[in-house]
Amino acid sequence: MEILTTIFSFVFLAQVLRLFTPYFLGATGANFSERGGVINIAIEGFMISGAFCFTFLTLQSGLSVIGILFALLINSLLALFFSFFVLKLKLNQILIGVGFNLLIAGLAKFFMMFIFKSSSNTPRIDEIPRIKLLENIPFLGNVFSDYIILLSIILIFLSHFVLYKTKFGLRLRSCGENPEAADTSGVNVHLYKFYGILVSAILSCLAGVWLASNQNSYSDGMIAGRGYIAIAAMIIGKWKPVNIFWACLLFAFFEALEISLQIIQTGIPNQLIQMLPYLITILVLVGFIGKTKPPAADGVPY
Amino acid sequence: MKLKKSQKVILSISSSVVITLLISFLFILVIGKNPFQIFGLMFSESFGTFYGFGQILFKATPLIIIACGLALCFHCSLFNIGSEGQYNAGTFVFAILLVQFSSLPFIVGFILAALLAFITGGLLGLIPGLIKVKKGVSEVITTIMLNFVVLSVINYFLLNFFAVQATVHTADIPEQFKLPAIGEFIPVFKGSSFNLTFLIALAIAGLFYFLIYKTKLGFKIRATGFNEMASGYLKLKPAKLILISFVIGAGTIALAGINFVSGYKGYYEFGFSNNLGFSSIAVTLLAKNNPIGIIFSAVLFAFLDFGGLAVNQVIPKEIVLVIEAIVILSIISVSKYIDMKF
Repeated sequence: MEILTTIFSFVFLAQVLRLFTPYFLGATGANFSERGGVINIAIEGFMISGAFCFTFLTLQSGLSVIGILFALLINSLLALFFSFFVLKLKLNQILIGVGFNLLIAGLAKFFMMFIFKSSSNTPRIDEIPRIKLLENIPFLGNVFSDYIILLSIILIFLSHFVLYKTKFGLRLRSCGENPEAADTSGVNVHLYKFYGILVSAILSCLAGVWLASNQNSYSDGMIAGRGYIAIAAMIIGKWKPVNIFWACLLFAFFEALEISLQIIQTGIPNQLIQMLPYLITILVLVGFIGKTKPPAADGVPY
Repeated sequence: MKLKKSQKVILSISSSVVITLLISFLFILVIGKNPFQIFGLMFSESFGTFYGFGQILFKATPLIIIACGLALCFHCSLFNIGSEGQYNAGTFVFAILLVQFSSLPFIVGFILAALLAFITGGLLGLIPGLIKVKKGVSEVITTIMLNFVVLSVINYFLLNFFAVQATVHTADIPEQFKLPAIGEFIPVFKGSSFNLTFLIALAIAGLFYFLIYKTKLGFKIRATGFNEMASGYLKLKPAKLILISFVIGAGTIALAGINFVSGYKGYYEFGFSNNLGFSSIAVTLLAKNNPIGIIFSAVLFAFLDFGGLAVNQVIPKEIVLVIEAIVILSIISVSKYIDMKF
């Protein structure tokens, strides 16, 4: 009974929307990359670099805008670097992704020690300022006045629109389905694949920025597999923006539930809820929950 | 210029080691430290003393075992990213079984526990293998997801049933199952955790070399990895070979925990693996999936790991994580480049 009253409250809904944000940003990013035919396992790494770079320059400058711009700059460079490996050298995208995750996690741990002389936490930063105008919305003002949460809600519609209703989206998808055909019809395949990777780097960066801003610091291991959950959500969402939205909402709901269950003691083990997103992903892949079909040329170097 | 395959392999390994060194030197210079001092310190502290050398071999032991298991999977073109989960699951099962086996003699209990750990790992390989064979789903995503599932399940059982009060580790295994340190036979290694598991690791590497390159099964596995469709036309039964490689590979990975449980701490501890499952991917790639090469590349990585501790005063030891990642990126790019050019 206590669980039900917890779930059906605005506090809980606000919590779900908050947790939803990094998942949806990461999943949408991964989707743009895969729609262009590039498997990007490095979402986790891109989130780490976003969170770390943002915290670092926000601390140095005292302005979160500068922190965000710096994080976006570094992530764009990383996207360029990633593209060089997978597009120019046509290397195995999975291995490069694993390499990037290790590289970025290693660099973040290294610079934590080197700059902040701590293996766990950076000093405290202020949260990104909110949109004053929206703070007075009843019940959910706290959520809607947050720039990045608002952006991710807009992104639900925007990503659908861009992928299906614009020339850019059509061309991007053609690169993921049949790059040869796209090439013959005059699409610059490498350029579009790069755009896909760039979008994934930028959106994951914002996910990292939001996480760091929300907890007022960067701490080691704070991304905690969210990049992988985002990829899982993309798969469960069958590479479609609206379905991805539902998948992310589901995962956010589980996570919010897990947090609530820690407070209210129940018999349900925490670990069970923790592993649900991953378990569901496997079940979906196996085909127990509908059929999944990735872009036809997903992961194939061109 | 046309190079033989073995020449290409040697050329790509040596040049990627050189490239990694150069990039690391440059990186250390850029952040304002002296690379010669740092690498000098790494060498003198590790290879300079028997204790250091022993520690390196101790750290190389699980890397060799995991990398051999991965190598078999990679030979079959299976990107098993699930080594972290397989390693943890095997170690956990091995440790809790040994605790139960207190009345059994060493040889029976040890082999039984190792066998069951192997089966546990093997099952974790069978699942993504079956999903791949039956449903055509890439093993990459399933093994990544399984890592998280396995760690949660272990965490649940550990905290609720097996952990010693107020800790995250299991009870100590009985004395008879602890493997002696090499220091007991060769006194110069005294004090180092270097233990008999190293010999098990060498045996596994030898066995895998034989399996992969000298047996019919190994040939079939490599043929399947090289071209699954063609091997199907040759009636090699690729689906069966994929399952065999996945099960043997993952099962072997599950055995790596012997080093920690029997050779070192005497229990399973949550988080003990410290991402070793992922580092082993780098070890395997650098050795180009050759089990004998893996021994050397594992020693190189163990040297980096231990050397990192030695230089921690001058530069954070996390530099080693960065170097490891550079190894992966450079070996993949260099191999591809050499394949294209020569």
